[in-house]
Amino acid sequence: MKKVITGDHAVAIGAKLCRVDVVPAFPITPQTLIIEHIADFVNNGELDTKFLTMESEHSVMSAAAGASAAGARVFTATSSQGLAFMHEMLYAIAPLRLPVVMANASRTLGGPPGIWCEYNDSMGARDSGWLQLYVEDNQEALDMIIQSFRIAEDKRVLLPVMPCLDGFVLTHTVEPVDIPSQEDVDSLLAPYEPDIVLDPERPAMIGTFMPAEYIMELRRQTVGAFECAKDVIREVNTEFAQKFGRDYGGLVDTYRMDDAKIALITMGTVTSTSREVVDELRQKGEKVGIIKLRFFRPFPCEDLKKLASNLDALGVFDRSISYHGGGPVYNEVRSALFGMTIPVINHLAGLGGRDVTEEQIFKMFELTSRAAKGEKVKEVNWHNTRGETV
Amino acid sequence: MFEVRFHGRGGQGAVMAAQTLAEAAVNEDNYAVAFPFFGAERRGAPVLAFTRIDAKKIYSKTQVYAPDCVIVLDDSLLDTIDVVSGLKPDGMVIINSKEDPDDIDLGISFRTATVNATSIALEILKAPITNTAILGAFAKATGLITIESLESSIKEKFGGKLGERAGERNALAARMAYEKTIIGTSRGIKKLESKKQWLPAYQDIPIGGALIEGKTQAGLIGPGSFIENKVSGWATFRPLRNKEKCTMCLLCWFYCPEGTIIRISDRGDLMTNYDYCKGCGICANECPVDAIKMTRARS
Ligand code: SF4
Ligand code: SF4
Repeated sequence: MKKVITGDHAVAIGAKLCRVDVVPAFPITPQTLIIEHIADFVNNGELDTKFLTMESEHSVMSAAAGASAAGARVFTATSSQGLAFMHEMLYAIAPLRLPVVMANASRTLGGPPGIWCEYNDSMGARDSGWLQLYVEDNQEALDMIIQSFRIAEDKRVLLPVMPCLDGFVLTHTVEPVDIPSQEDVDSLLAPYEPDIVLDPERPAMIGTFMPAEYIMELRRQTVGAFECAKDVIREVNTEFAQKFGRDYGGLVDTYRMDDAKIALITMGTVTSTSREVVDELRQKGEKVGIIKLRFFRPFPCEDLKKLASNLDALGVFDRSISYHGGGPVYNEVRSALFGMTIPVINHLAGLGGRDVTEEQIFKMFELTSRAAKGEKVKEVNWHNTRGETV
Repeated sequence: MFEVRFHGRGGQGAVMAAQTLAEAAVNEDNYAVAFPFFGAERRGAPVLAFTRIDAKKIYSKTQVYAPDCVIVLDDSLLDTIDVVSGLKPDGMVIINSKEDPDDIDLGISFRTATVNATSIALEILKAPITNTAILGAFAKATGLITIESLESSIKEKFGGKLGERAGERNALAARMAYEKTIIGTSRGIKKLESKKQWLPAYQDIPIGGALIEGKTQAGLIGPGSFIENKVSGWATFRPLRNKEKCTMCLLCWFYCPEGTIIRISDRGDLMTNYDYCKGCGICANECPVDAIKMTRARS
């Protein structure tokens, strides 16, 4: 069934279709609609869930940890300052291997305060142990809530997942979304059945003090789960594609990459706009393509290495900054491609929610192509930034 | 370089002792460092502290693995911990014990000094805090620092923190211990048992570290700890509840940090499992009607 809905609405429907047991919630722009829609579902009797209105995001994540440890399927959503306020508890969830799913409406993390799309909120949580993915449109937002629970609850993974959707560009934009049937989702996502839960009948200890004799091994174990997650993400993508006919490619997706010599790594909605740009450049005979970075955690090093091996140059889009220089994606990509000799050029754009236009994306391809020809191009380029030249 | 390892229990002041020793050494124109190693911070749990002393600046920031001297603030630790582990062959052990050094069995012969620091502390400080007394024994047994410089460090450190009188009393405890320390050689009869520890590889740690009752190579674990890891040996005092006075308000049950007070619901009564009672006295302190008395556990 097709519906014209916002990204936030799509996420809420996704959570409903996953029959979530517990939703601890605290509203924050631009995530608010997600919480409101879920509240409506509960109110209407459409969704049988324990909906908890908490006093802060820190409490939201604490409640999520407790409910998940007690065996519940837990969903919540946040954004920006809310995610920052959860930070302490984010770090508690992953090593305890609690498969919570939380949507993040990407929004600039102040200061200065702002409400529009930037990735500096979720990038700050990149080493908290959550799997992180970025979606391109409202359909993917809905579909990835379902896939996120499948990935999170897989016994080889058991890690929390954070699907991120661009604030306002998706959260408050309506577009047609195909809503899967409950039966189809049920057949893809079985009820969550953990091995050890907090249960007075069978006492267990989860998340207690651990001395140095164990923590290093526990960290190593969590890294192992990250490794396993790569396979599981690909498997779930394939199964989902077979059932619903939508194939997202796995950790990365590609567009017109078959014979491409120049590629741009994109994330979120900029991927969508870039498709139009690539079509136009292809018409002019330029061999360009897009590598859509879907999962930032785990980071798809192997996929990128393979894709880069036929390229003359690679551009990397970043929607946040590491203050020492380039963006976090750029730095990860360079580290993944260590030893390869092609130029890798960073394109910073859209910080603070500034619109990323086709014009800017054309420029990204142009600069990357010039680097491929051996021209001198800056490593880090600030697009559409007064005082900077690109 | 001279390295000292202190074995004590949380609350006995092992860390203060290590620091005081370092200060005394510095007062005599040495360089010294002192640092603690805490396990789970529970009053009564075994703790370690270290002091390093040298004529020149010390750069090493690691724990001490091959000490020249081991100081044991509580002889009940000898039953569960291999205190002489790594001790240099010509090293020395100093133990708070009422026994003669020659009667102490460490499973291996070492130069050993003993002093009954607990009774000195109870007499002079009115509390079983033995850290200053045992330092007096250290001065006597090793001769590494003089009792005078130790006394002045104690006065400075404890006096500054707890008041001048407390500083003087602690210095007196050190002086008394200095005079009463006996030096001899430990016996080496008992078989040294290696510490019971469960150290699984990362592949074998339960997912997320979640534990339910189950068997490991080292023994049965329950939620919390090893089931056979009894803590009764930590107790200097144990709680005795007067049933006549008790109103069953359950405050003691609620506050006991070891969860060792058990509700017997069908009888509306409480029971204390002394195997897991560390004698901290919190229950007695919290009881609103003074129904719990702490009594000396070992005579
Ligand atoms: S029973 Fe009392 S003395 Fe024993 S551990 Fe509990 S609170 Fe401490
Ligand atoms: S706190 Fe005192 S009165 Fe209350 S249950 Fe315990 S022993 Fe009884």
